[in-house]
Amino acid sequence: MINLIQDPPQDPPKDATPWDGVPAPDIDAWGQLPVQAGNFDHVDGLFYFTYAVCIVFFVIITGVLLYSCVAHRRKTWDQKPLSNVTHNTPLEVVWTVIPLIIVMIMFAWGFKGSLDMTTVPQAAKQNTYKATAKQWNWTFTYPNGTRGYNEVYIEIGKPVQFMLESTDVLHAFYVPSMRVKRDIVPGRYQSVWFEPTKLGTYHLFCAEYCGDDHSRMYAKVHVVDEATMEKEPWNIVPEADAPVAERIAYGKELAGQLCASCHKISPTQGMDNGPSWVGMFTKVDGKLVGRQREVIEGGETKTITTDDAYITESIRKPTQKIVAEEPYRGRNMSNFETLDDARIACLIDYMKSLADN
Amino acid sequence: MTTNTPAIDVQKSPAAAPRENYLNCSKGFKSWALTLDHKRIGLMYLVGVSIAFLAGGLFALLVRLHLWEPEGMLFTNIEYNQIFTLHGAFMVFLFVIPAIPGSLGNVVMPLMVGAKDVALPKLNLLSFYLWLAGAVLAVLAIVLGGFDTGWTFYAPYSLYTDRAIVTIGMAIFILGFSSIFTGLNFIVTVHKLRAPGMTWFRMPLFVWAIYATAILQVLATPVLGITVLLVAFERLYNIGIFDPRLGGDPVLFEHFFWFYSHPAVYIMVLPAFGIISELVSVHSRKPLFGYKLIAFSSIAIAVISFLVWGHHMFTSGQSTYAMFAFSFLTFFVAIPTAIKEFSWVATVWKGSVALNSPMLYTLAFLIIFAIGGLTGVILGALNVDLHLHDTYFVVAHFHYVMMGSIALAFFAGLHHWWPKMFGVMYNELQAKIACATIFIGFNLTFLPQFVMGSRGMPRRYATYVPEYVPYHQASTIGAVILGAGVALMVFYLLASLLIRKKAKENQWGGVTLDWIAPTPPPHLNFDEEPKVVHEVYDYSTLDYDSMQRDC
Repeated sequence: MINLIQDPPQDPPKDATPWDGVPAPDIDAWGQLPVQAGNFDHVDGLFYFTYAVCIVFFVIITGVLLYSCVAHRRKTWDQKPLSNVTHNTPLEVVWTVIPLIIVMIMFAWGFKGSLDMTTVPQAAKQNTYKATAKQWNWTFTYPNGTRGYNEVYIEIGKPVQFMLESTDVLHAFYVPSMRVKRDIVPGRYQSVWFEPTKLGTYHLFCAEYCGDDHSRMYAKVHVVDEATMEKEPWNIVPEADAPVAERIAYGKELAGQLCASCHKISPTQGMDNGPSWVGMFTKVDGKLVGRQREVIEGGETKTITTDDAYITESIRKPTQKIVAEEPYRGRNMSNFETLDDARIACLIDYMKSLADN
Repeated sequence: MTTNTPAIDVQKSPAAAPRENYLNCSKGFKSWALTLDHKRIGLMYLVGVSIAFLAGGLFALLVRLHLWEPEGMLFTNIEYNQIFTLHGAFMVFLFVIPAIPGSLGNVVMPLMVGAKDVALPKLNLLSFYLWLAGAVLAVLAIVLGGFDTGWTFYAPYSLYTDRAIVTIGMAIFILGFSSIFTGLNFIVTVHKLRAPGMTWFRMPLFVWAIYATAILQVLATPVLGITVLLVAFERLYNIGIFDPRLGGDPVLFEHFFWFYSHPAVYIMVLPAFGIISELVSVHSRKPLFGYKLIAFSSIAIAVISFLVWGHHMFTSGQSTYAMFAFSFLTFFVAIPTAIKEFSWVATVWKGSVALNSPMLYTLAFLIIFAIGGLTGVILGALNVDLHLHDTYFVVAHFHYVMMGSIALAFFAGLHHWWPKMFGVMYNELQAKIACATIFIGFNLTFLPQFVMGSRGMPRRYATYVPEYVPYHQASTIGAVILGAGVALMVFYLLASLLIRKKAKENQWGGVTLDWIAPTPPPHLNFDEEPKVVHEVYDYSTLDYDSMQRDC
């Protein structure tokens, strides 16, 4: 007897995606919009009003059209039309004026709503975050100066403003559940505000095309209560005396957020736009050895050995020494000047954990 | 036996010799390559834009297949970005803008005004060769590294990317001149070459539409030319107009780009409106309802379209006053557009409605354009647009206009004037099946995109959040059905040229001059100069015999 029940085949390990662990947002009763998690209810109101008007007009137009096609279809090839009417002034006035009135209502409603969305209230100004966009990740600076990456915590019921800046090309800050979107233009500050009204984790997309990994430029927006905010969950970085496993785990998480959009950060995870982290360190007789690498510094090619100092420099000043190897030669990495020592140390611990014999 | 053969030939030849027309009046490669006949130039355009359309469609299919899986099925992100850019650039610059004016406009418009040719035939040929040069450069740009900026070429990304942006920029610059020359030519033709008795308000609405388009082409296209030149200079010499690192302003690029590209939407769609106006009238055998209002609304749209470009930039941080003006005028442009749609429906009402294939394509247009136009109203509302901007809702909206309306109007016009252009009829049954397939496939492709767009799916994404999977997959299935419909259409249209089933002298019973001219028209269009004594669309003048007579 053959045992028909077999172990399910093991799925190959999948690339982690930036949105792992974020639940799909609930959809509202009409099926078109994610449930509103912010304060801009007028967007939903006008959207569904316009939608309903569109459906009414669509039904009238196609109804009359299809009725005519059936009722007045040509049955003999030389059939003459039932009417030769060329115009009807009252009718034409009606179908000019009624739509005009309707669209003017929509215009006024929409303009009023947009004023609300672009006029930042005092309370939001006092709770200002900075969101720095670059190809292809987000850095958030909290009102108290601490930082988080590709993840931001905001407090429920407290209006928040994001000052938006870009260090390279156009991006856009888009949180569908909050109904807010604003382009981020390099060389100028833009701002966006909203008041989160519902606990949960929401998508933050980059909505303006920004190059290779545009679709992976993603952040999680956590709406939390005051107690969670006070713990500053974004700022818990294992210190040098923390257990190594914890530091490696944190380093891996951070690498997934910041680095995987360009580097292979493990044999199965990350992109191949920059040099792979696999093989950066190897173990010889149980001792860690840094990889020898040709780099270009100030136009001169030299060989260096990968170590903590080189990695730290490459993160903060990536253009100082550029890897000479093809195809990475000539590709510029965006710099992470603001990454602090504790976080870089965890990243390096993670890189070292990739070493095998 | 052998002696009989010439005798038979002598007997047969007078009857069998086809009447001389523009297709058979001269032969050989040079007679086509150097032709000054607007109809032959129109046919060369038709071949060119059709190839561009099929190439653009192929890229679209690749895009849709890739998006079957949330992590992407076929390409890396970098490859995907190039393919969606190719799709957009080919469709917009090589197909949608030149398609109707270049092919059907060229063939039909001079016939409709009763002219022997366009006013400037050599310029007309130059327009075509500029189009060809632009197309060759666009293909060259693919070979030289491709381009990955989206068809909008937004700075500063288009300044930094290490791809063939200058080459594709030059292609667009040259294509722009092709468009300007065509517009210029048509303006002069409409003003100067109308037949005796053809007053402005006796012109068929297709001519009005082509005329309004031509004005836009001449006035708006230079701005695009200057913009791509500036991008090229900026890339080559770092002059700092758009690059913020050099003190430039990326938003200025957006203003320049949309100052052309919004009127360009009407450069694309007005000729489609013109085709639909003609077809609705002929196939309902009824004068067009509200002729003057439709004619004026074409001009109104042409004027207002210059004042609404900022509605592509509501999220760019423009001032409140600018938002106010652009949103207001955007809603305003809805009115002349609505008037057209209502007038077409009123024309069908109590007509003698022939449900043949050109009319089916027209009906498909009327339904799809209703959706495309109405969803545009949703996007015009400022606060709603801040949510929907740059999502699939916008993608669906403009495909309902660009593909569902303009391409379908082009197909409708092609089916309508095919017997006029070639003197042959295609297989009507296959045409109806193809039309139904395209209609179903199109709606299945783009209706789900409205839903995922309003739920937040951003456009130009090579990978996506898994909750959108069902919508993307429905859309991909729709695209395959749409592709099958188009393939069938290409097949039976080409087959009709081989089978050569004779068309009627006046296949559909039109009364405008294009149907008064012999089928296919002779080299100089009319056997004798036409004189217009009737109002336009006066079906009491229809010669029913011409509908029965083989051409």
